[in-house]
Amino acid sequence: MIQFERVSFAYQGNEDRENIKAVSDVSFAIPNGSHVVFLGRNGSGKSTVARLMNGLLLPDEGRVIVDGMDTSENAFIDEIRRRAGMVFQNPDNQIIGTTVADDIAFGPCNLGLPAEEVRARVTRALEETGMTDYRDREPYALSGGQKQKLAVASVLAMQPEILILDESTAMLDPSSRRALMELILDLKEKKQLTIVHITHHMEEALLADYVYVLDEGRIALEGTPADVFDQKDCVLSLGLSLPTHIEISHRISDAIGVPYQPEKVTSFDGAVQFVRESLAKVSDRAFFDNSLEKEMSQMTLDQTQGDHSLGHDELSRTTARIKDDFPLTKGRSPKPLQQGLPVVIDVQHLSYAYEGLAGTHVQALQDISLEVRQGEVLGIVGHTGSGKSTLIQHFNGIIPSSRGTVTVLGEDLSERKIIRSIRRKVGLLFQYPEDQLFEETVALDIAFAPKQMGKSPEEVAYSVEKAAKRLGVDHLLVRSPFDLSGGQRRRVAIAGVLAAEPLILVLDEPAAGLDPAGREDLFDDLATLTNEGATLIIVSHDMEAMAKRCDRILVMKEGRVAKIGTPEDIISSAVFLEDASLDVPPAKRFLDALADDFSELGTFAFDAEDATQKILEAAQFMRKKNPAATIDAPAIRHDILSASKNNELFSETAACSIKHDYLPRVSASDTEHEDIESCEKKASSHG
Amino acid sequence: MGKRSLLGRSIPGTSFIHRLDARVKFIAAILLMIATLSSKSPIVLAVISLWAMVLVALSHIRVRIVLRSVRPIIFLIIFAMVIHFFTVRGTPLFRVGSIVISLEGLTSGLLTALRISLMVIQTSLLLTLTTTPIAIADAMERLLLPLKHLHFPVQEFSMMMSIAMRFVPTLLDEATRLMKAQSSRGADFDTGGLMRRARGLVSILVPLFVSSFRRADDLAVAMEARCYGGTSSRTTLYAMKLQRRDYLFLTAAVLISAFVFLWQG
Repeated sequence: MIQFERVSFAYQGNEDRENIKAVSDVSFAIPNGSHVVFLGRNGSGKSTVARLMNGLLLPDEGRVIVDGMDTSENAFIDEIRRRAGMVFQNPDNQIIGTTVADDIAFGPCNLGLPAEEVRARVTRALEETGMTDYRDREPYALSGGQKQKLAVASVLAMQPEILILDESTAMLDPSSRRALMELILDLKEKKQLTIVHITHHMEEALLADYVYVLDEGRIALEGTPADVFDQKDCVLSLGLSLPTHIEISHRISDAIGVPYQPEKVTSFDGAVQFVRESLAKVSDRAFFDNSLEKEMSQMTLDQTQGDHSLGHDELSRTTARIKDDFPLTKGRSPKPLQQGLPVVIDVQHLSYAYEGLAGTHVQALQDISLEVRQGEVLGIVGHTGSGKSTLIQHFNGIIPSSRGTVTVLGEDLSERKIIRSIRRKVGLLFQYPEDQLFEETVALDIAFAPKQMGKSPEEVAYSVEKAAKRLGVDHLLVRSPFDLSGGQRRRVAIAGVLAAEPLILVLDEPAAGLDPAGREDLFDDLATLTNEGATLIIVSHDMEAMAKRCDRILVMKEGRVAKIGTPEDIISSAVFLEDASLDVPPAKRFLDALADDFSELGTFAFDAEDATQKILEAAQFMRKKNPAATIDAPAIRHDILSASKNNELFSETAACSIKHDYLPRVSASDTEHEDIESCEKKASSHG
Repeated sequence: MGKRSLLGRSIPGTSFIHRLDARVKFIAAILLMIATLSSKSPIVLAVISLWAMVLVALSHIRVRIVLRSVRPIIFLIIFAMVIHFFTVRGTPLFRVGSIVISLEGLTSGLLTALRISLMVIQTSLLLTLTTTPIAIADAMERLLLPLKHLHFPVQEFSMMMSIAMRFVPTLLDEATRLMKAQSSRGADFDTGGLMRRARGLVSILVPLFVSSFRRADDLAVAMEARCYGGTSSRTTLYAMKLQRRDYLFLTAAVLISAFVFLWQG
């Protein structure tokens, strides 16, 4: 049991700055054996709460008690940390041992256990996490997912009762993320662990028994996942998003006026069933409404409409209503590839191999041919190690092309003399670009690229300002980049590449690690670039964001081009996606689940909104084809009334305690459309 | 990506050399290093070369990989060799401009190159290639243990060493990544004027330092979370006990060294 009793904590500020309040007056109790998730935007105090749990931080006010032991008592601290093991975010920065086995042994050795016992625990932890084959590997030779499994193994060797995951899945690709969550749930089951999980991934929240949403160091919302995601507006205003299937259920429920059922739609299958039943009801309800309408039309004599058009009318009215509740995204629909526009990147038969660990031969790229046209947004997706990063590093000559040709803006990149001028025109942003900031102020850092490229001071100043404005960091220009938050640093780093005013911008996972609202905002800001004729190439694992933002998607598999086409071409086939080890975006999975119910449904949707629309259209089409049967109207009226009563009841259980004054700060349109990480399969199978 | 440095990266295996006690390898490496460097006569060097071949055979590591360990200092070797060519006087062989190259110069240059290469090959065979950094750190800790009586924090020191070694590959990867990122922003590392290059270097070093500090912070927290520096005294995991092969190998190393010193008087 972890108890927080009115806990407050502030980080000591630098000399000239005030202390930064991270947690204010937080109280809760986490019972043994439960699975609790903490959500909240970047900087909401989640990690601080985690570190207060095992005495890595001590509260300024209030008490933190773990299994009856106060964390501020020195005598308890080792026992508390043994019981409450912690897995951190960055896989690289928590491995202490020089081999896998040594790292697992580190904790037990610190406890002073006999060497025999330590060895036995190492063996057991390796088995429990499926890492036995890697026993003597060195950490650098592991993938990100394996490193996190190792971190879990190292905690298990301490025989903990509580496992605290501090954004442990944030830096993993979707499949490693799923594998890690599977492992965690399995361990929880086998060892009756208490799980405390801090995350940005809403699907992971669905696995929990109870969810806390933090905002500015306070608990802004709490309840079961069903209760929390029932509070649609509240969740969005807290910088979070709804899992896709829940959003579709909300939208359908709003659209056709069938009461939302929070408990039911928490699981993916439940949501599908909910939508199916609701739509079955609405085809009946058209009659029900129809009869109401008739009563009214008897009073206003000129209103006489046939059943058919009435039903139709209802659906289009509801579609309009959806748009009020959930404003449309600024997202763009893919534009057809215009043959007339110039080709800016032309790759022909490119292959690339390098020498890997211990002299192994790694064929990273194999006969890649590709044309990118001016002004398009090209997405590159593929499993980890499929060659995405290697490919984009060819676009500005970071990796010289050895076999095949790369022509960028008409210049052959094997001509090394032109590399400098090409780098002015092609901006390349690596993962976690915030790590590359180095100047004293934000302004100087953004100015680095244009200065290096020989622009005059006036031009530099102009480009810096323009780039900073576009990314919304112009108010930070005089600050030191090292004082900013992670999200701000990310934006400064991107501005630093934009300042060179590249004609082609290549980004590797630009939104990784950001909260849902931050992710969406960043993509919106980047999308404005293409209006000015720039070409955008985005590498990402986030299939939904890619479907929504890209004109074309290139799928890489084992160093080859598996397919290139419009998002619809790529995403329509779930079999193809799975074959390329990619996630099936949840909106598409939702449509697929309903495919048997509606013949005209199609197999592709960009996001929850698009999916809702397609479902409604398909339902409408079906109804046109076979007019609904007559049913007992009063019975249905009763059904709906009682259901909506229940609905109110549910809403009350999860009271949204957001203070009114900061509700409007995040405008609804900014948070509305979340790109949902596709961790869904897990969510639904465990829901 | 690209070619990986061998620095701090051992190749796992179960050969005779792999299974030797790290302390024995450490001491043998130092002995052989001194012996090799002080060997002058071609006969002695021939014996050491033979011995090095035996080591390679015993380690089951491919010759190509062993030879690669010389690559990082290839320039040093060539430099030392050329210096000998030009400076050692003796029977003139031919002249390059005003400089006379002698037979003695040529032989002594080649022998020097051989000497340095042999030294590097032996040390990397015994230590970096076949011994994990943690085993080296452990061995150092054991060997330094007597210093504990002089209040030298031996355990902390060896923990520090092993963490440093653990992070060498991570930092190398990060440096490569930063170099690519900053080149994409127009930074120069090998062309352009001195100022440009200096700025290029700064753009790598500052973030590398900052991130090292952040890593150090994170790591300290992670260690604390796993009860490091707590009340109980740490378990020493690897009880090191010398085996017959260890004595055998140490004897061989001592004999080789003794031979070198005795032969040369």
